[in-house]
Amino acid sequence: MTQETELKTDKEFKLVGLNYRNPVTFEHKKRSIWRERPVASLCLLAVIVLLCVFCNLIMNHEPTYMDLSNCNVAPNKAFFFGTDTMGRDIFSMIWYGGRISLFIGVVATLISTTIAIVYGSISGMAPMVIDDAMMRFTEIMLSIPTLLVIIFVQAIVGKQNVVVISIVIGITSWMSIAKVVRTEVRQIRKSEYVIASRCMGASFFHVLTEHLTPNFVSSIMFMVVMNIRGAITAESTLSFLGIGLPIEVISWGSMLSLSEKALMTNSWWIILIPGVFLVTTLMCITNIGNYIRREVNLSESNI
Amino acid sequence: MNLKKIKKVTVFLLKKISISIIAILFLSVLVFFMSRLAPGDPLVSYYGDRAERLSPEEKEHALERLGLNEAIPNQYIRWVNNAVHGDFGISYKYKQDVLEVIEGRLINTLILGGIGFLLTFLFALLLGIFCAFREESLLDHIICNVGTVTSCIPEFYFSLILILVFSVNLKLLPSSGAYALGQSGSIQSRLTHLVLPMIVVVLSHLWYYAYMIRNKLLEEIRQDYVLLAKSKGLSKKDIMYKHCVRNILPAFISIMAISLPHIVEGTYIVEMVFSYPGIGTLSFESAKYHDYNMLMVLCLITGIIVIIGNNVGQAISEKIDPRMKTSEIVETTEVTKI
Repeated sequence: MTQETELKTDKEFKLVGLNYRNPVTFEHKKRSIWRERPVASLCLLAVIVLLCVFCNLIMNHEPTYMDLSNCNVAPNKAFFFGTDTMGRDIFSMIWYGGRISLFIGVVATLISTTIAIVYGSISGMAPMVIDDAMMRFTEIMLSIPTLLVIIFVQAIVGKQNVVVISIVIGITSWMSIAKVVRTEVRQIRKSEYVIASRCMGASFFHVLTEHLTPNFVSSIMFMVVMNIRGAITAESTLSFLGIGLPIEVISWGSMLSLSEKALMTNSWWIILIPGVFLVTTLMCITNIGNYIRREVNLSESNI
Repeated sequence: MNLKKIKKVTVFLLKKISISIIAILFLSVLVFFMSRLAPGDPLVSYYGDRAERLSPEEKEHALERLGLNEAIPNQYIRWVNNAVHGDFGISYKYKQDVLEVIEGRLINTLILGGIGFLLTFLFALLLGIFCAFREESLLDHIICNVGTVTSCIPEFYFSLILILVFSVNLKLLPSSGAYALGQSGSIQSRLTHLVLPMIVVVLSHLWYYAYMIRNKLLEEIRQDYVLLAKSKGLSKKDIMYKHCVRNILPAFISIMAISLPHIVEGTYIVEMVFSYPGIGTLSFESAKYHDYNMLMVLCLITGIIVIIGNNVGQAISEKIDPRMKTSEIVETTEVTKI
């Protein structure tokens, strides 16, 4: 944008015969694509997500079918990753269950981000007293360990299915994003364009979507990505402890909840394989998140 | 002059204490109302299977005896009234005074969580300094990458792998409980049961905080005073330990304060996986069986530990460095931790 306008003015100066401007050259620091950008993580994550979405193409067994004649079989040619204690094929379950784990991660993050943006913006735009009260509330919520809150809300809701779990995780993990949103909104709420827009009678949601959100989107991006990671971890922890998804609903967490039986028979594949996929996904997300944080910090410090 | 200072300190303390009390009260209201509105029958946890066979009159009587038939706000007022007098009610599941049940387990959690907390930050500081000395070297890169991997592994999965390797396959360490059967007094038995949970608590949080300290130190060694100290002829070690590390201490302490909920949460998960008889397993059970009185006290204990920890951390770092705006640090660290 700025470069374009500069060129335009240069042309105008040339037209009048005033070519006063010396060409300014500045070298861009050469950055290695491989070291700075999380290419490997992105590719790996893309592969995992694609395979999970199109799991019908690669599954060689029915993931929910309990083949009782083949319980607890170690990895072999028919069952690539072995079978679990209920006789289900782990290779098929990984892709099938990955869909649910990733779905919960994304949906829970969408919910928590929406709550955080609305709550943070209201708190940022509100007068001092209300703002203070709202921020104290988030601090109290932050001081309670998230897991306790989730167990709690889970006990209240009672039901155990994918949507309920996503909602429960979503409504218990919005606090830290809301704090950042609120700080950013506080800084820009007195800007001329916000005031002008309000004078013209714009509603709160119009101001929020048109003027506020584009300004703080970059600073919460990192946290949103990390929130996906948090949601996937929370789901797997809950399912593992037996208060998340039931064993019949396959996800990476509920697959690991069979591990107690697996420990008795020392069948390592039931424990190791779902976990490896879980940790790999979490790591890719972390790498991407860290990259976003570095980029955001970079642009801020250059201004 | 002196009187003024005392007044200032007392006002400061009163403010902090009153905010903490309001926070704790708010927490108790929240927990109380949420737990009472939850579906699920506390009578089941009290009477077990017999609850279904109770006649309506007996049920009425039981509810009245447990104080569950009043309106919820009245129940809350009565609960606060009793709690102030030190009576937190009985646990429906254990049929014992709540405090008695918790008493034995609180120590277990404090041992695991407290020592884990201190070890985490001791190692985090050492590792942070170690990496800051060798910035961008091969060793630093290796530690950074290994650290990122360990911080990505969920606590429960980490515990599972350790159990699989050390208890099931190598048969070196026990996989559950706090002591072997009938050996509650033996220190050796307690120690061997503590090793695996402690490793998980420390390692799963270690890198996150070590990385934060490393980055803070890297910022610090780019300051001008380091150049001055260097030109004066101070050795690298002297600059690092006598100047840089001292300067990041306030930030370090507030990071410690903020990290409390995370480490408490981690300890709870680890307790559940290792079925370690502590508060974590207890709160999980009580939420599952609608053991209201127990849940209230456990949530309050957790909340009080965290709130007091936060306030003490803030006060100490303000004392060390009065310029410090703790809120600023809270926000920057919140950005990085979810």
